[in-house]
Amino acid sequence: MQTISAVFSYTLKEHLRRKAWLFAALFGLVLLGGALIVSALGADERARLLLDLGLAAIEAISLVSVVFLTVNLILSEIESRAIFLILSHPVRRADYLLGRFLGTVAAVTLGMAGMALMHMAILSLYGWWEPGRYLAALVCLLGKTGVMGALSLLLSLALTSEAAAMAFAVFLWMLGHFSSEMRFLADRSGSAFMKTTLIAFSHAAPDFAHFNYRDFWHQAAPGAEWLMWAGVYALAYTAACLALSVQLFEQKEF
Amino acid sequence: MRKRWLAVAVCLFALALFAGARMRRLHEPRFPHLSELKTGPFAFQDASLAIAGFRAPAADLAWIQFLQYAAGDIPQYVDRPGHAYEHLGAMSQRVLRLDPSFYRATLFAAGMLAWFHGVDQPDEAADLLNEGMRLSPEQPMYSLYLAALAYKKKGDTQRMIDLLESSFDLPQTPSTMKAILANLRQSRGEYRQALGLWERILNSERDRAEHGRAKDKITELKTLIAAGAAKKR
Repeated sequence: MQTISAVFSYTLKEHLRRKAWLFAALFGLVLLGGALIVSALGADERARLLLDLGLAAIEAISLVSVVFLTVNLILSEIESRAIFLILSHPVRRADYLLGRFLGTVAAVTLGMAGMALMHMAILSLYGWWEPGRYLAALVCLLGKTGVMGALSLLLSLALTSEAAAMAFAVFLWMLGHFSSEMRFLADRSGSAFMKTTLIAFSHAAPDFAHFNYRDFWHQAAPGAEWLMWAGVYALAYTAACLALSVQLFEQKEF
Repeated sequence: MRKRWLAVAVCLFALALFAGARMRRLHEPRFPHLSELKTGPFAFQDASLAIAGFRAPAADLAWIQFLQYAAGDIPQYVDRPGHAYEHLGAMSQRVLRLDPSFYRATLFAAGMLAWFHGVDQPDEAADLLNEGMRLSPEQPMYSLYLAALAYKKKGDTQRMIDLLESSFDLPQTPSTMKAILANLRQSRGEYRQALGLWERILNSERDRAEHGRAKDKITELKTLIAAGAAKKR
């Protein structure tokens, strides 16, 4: 536990010092400002536009940050040979990987929290105030970020190429939002092979379509039980990807 | 032993599948399938945003483009001579299919198609409301507007106005629809009722977008009422 905490704090500090992360946060604030301007065109729907576009901006920046940071997380340490120094100490590879991952997710969460605070302040200026639901949307967003971070880490270890890992991560992100469409296509398909393949893909890819609280905000709100299962889903999916990452990492020869 | 993390991953993935199935059973987002999205010059924009999980922002952008078209022309949709606002119906259907829970946009568009001066497309308004009812049967305002449209077609303006006024203070009623209603009252010479409606708009925080117009209209109507009273004397 001590090792995880030490790696966690060193990773968090490293990310906070990184200029790329700060640029991402700055870009997020610019996007929020953009949402403010665009929403002015929405006549009496300004609050809705501000809410949707702001949350979309926070999600887009979080996704880009988490994919970029986790893909480089281990590969850059292997390239700079810093990993030899760390692993020469009595550090279990699983602890090292978990500490690195949690530190990265914590850094992205801090960025998200900063953007969310600013977003809520802007929304409250326009008379909008629903902190409970906003928090639920943020938690779902954090769940998506966690899943994407773990998937990117797994891809970076499996493919050992930053560009390929990033491309696959974005592809899985799209596929995740396509999960209900895949089930719909499977229902319509006459071929048993096609049906099985589509259903298998829809289960293997992260189910972001059902996790997208931000997108179905304006529909009837799901209850607390849904939130609980959504949380279990995100944690289990993230942990499964991390376990696979540890498996791959332990098999690597340094 | 070498594969223990793999076994852990399989167990966790099975838990994720179970939780995902429970999650889907408890709540199913109601969005029309991608194949139902409107084709046209913005199809790529709509499809790419929907695939990336940004359906509500896609509907918001479609709504802004709808307003821009209503305010003048946008290069992607140019009206043929003598066919003003011919794409209004298609553009409002586009917003509806991207996000059926954007009720106020659908009601605004239906109100504009049916009652806006110079538009007069009640059939397109009825199509839009029917589509809205298909996608969101729980929304009572669609049937109310359809009934008001039926009265309009029958020429029963009084009952149409009474029906629309019954939904005046409901949160889903768009500010523009309230303004249309007040103008309808004014055009029938019912200045006092029109004044009352504009005052209700001015007192409502939700209708902030119409406050400027409401102030002007209140002044205009007060003058008209005073002139009418002076004439009677």
